[in-house]
Amino acid sequence: MAKGAIPPPTRGRNVDSSVSRLREGFGRVPVAAVIRRAEELPQALASQVPAVFFLRAPAFHLGPLVWAVQARGKMAFVHIDLIAGLGKDRAGVAFLAREIGVNGIITSHSGLIAAAKAERVVAVQRLLLYDDLALPSALNALDHARPDVVEVLPAIIFPLVVDQIRARLSLPMIVGGFVTDATHREAALERGALAVSTSTPSQWP
Amino acid sequence: MRTPDLSGSLLPAIRDAASLSQALDLGYRQVLLERGSLLAIIGPLASAARRGIAIFVNLDGVEGIAADSAALAFLATDLGFSGVVSVRPHLLADASRFRLRTVQRIHALDSTGLETGLSSIVAPAPYAIAIAPGVAVPQVMPAIREVTGTPVWGTGYITTTEQANSVLAAGANVVSCARPEVWREFSPVAVRD
Repeated sequence: MAKGAIPPPTRGRNVDSSVSRLREGFGRVPVAAVIRRAEELPQALASQVPAVFFLRAPAFHLGPLVWAVQARGKMAFVHIDLIAGLGKDRAGVAFLAREIGVNGIITSHSGLIAAAKAERVVAVQRLLLYDDLALPSALNALDHARPDVVEVLPAIIFPLVVDQIRARLSLPMIVGGFVTDATHREAALERGALAVSTSTPSQWP
Repeated sequence: MRTPDLSGSLLPAIRDAASLSQALDLGYRQVLLERGSLLAIIGPLASAARRGIAIFVNLDGVEGIAADSAALAFLATDLGFSGVVSVRPHLLADASRFRLRTVQRIHALDSTGLETGLSSIVAPAPYAIAIAPGVAVPQVMPAIREVTGTPVWGTGYITTTEQANSVLAAGANVVSCARPEVWREFSPVAVRD
């Protein structure tokens, strides 16, 4: 990415970080591109995906990547739990929202959801399905935290638990985790997922 | 190690006295205490261990014991348990000092998390790694085998015999499961009879 192509900071409030904008985008193309390394970004920018999820990015070099996404009319989300160098607290959330101007924050922690909502960015809470015995308490935590969107992982479990989730929560769901081919994507969308998130570039339309 | 080793590919996941006796009645010589209070069923567990039943404890799931050396010493020395399961590398390193078999739990939720988990595998190699959710094993086995030849357990969301079989067919050595109906299908007693 040429440095000259990077737009100036959007400073948070100037960007449309609404859930309705996200719903519209996923209505057209129901896929979010998951980026783990900066080198993967150009392909995501060139794709039709309406949203980019940054995992594992370095906090203090994140700005240009986020602004490049927004310059393409896409929404940029950051997984705060995996961002190196950033406090996983209110100040960390405020930095991402105000200084970087991200559209949304992804976290597994209920405590950060409130902080993200206070900053008026889209709050995405991860529902981690590694253990069926842990699901009831995880649903309680989600019900209590009230995120804007739930990201359910891994995709292979989603069809097994979607009815259980819906019985407790009426939140839009993004399905991620080993969405490596069209079969996984279609299975999730058929069961009512708003979109899938995937780091497999061949799955970015 | 003098404590009993595993004796089959299905490991009943138990949580209380009722599920413990159900597993033992079906002829199993091994159980995983996955949830619940260890202290509430310490008597039956200790007596099972004395009779040669291999008992594994999920340190991240059970209540009543701390995640520290004193607890590990108690499990190993006083109770004669066979091994422990945890996501925490430090705890497992400590457990191996007490001659407990160590099973490192690794979450297979997405490729990024799996990579992180696989890169945190303790040295010396654990007795096994437990992939959670177990039903993801067929999808992630190639990525696991790229980095380690350690035996693999599948644990979590294995609720039917078909799922258990597909996880074993994908190369897992052991599946743990909390459903008695699946225990019956794999029961060592039924095989012997």
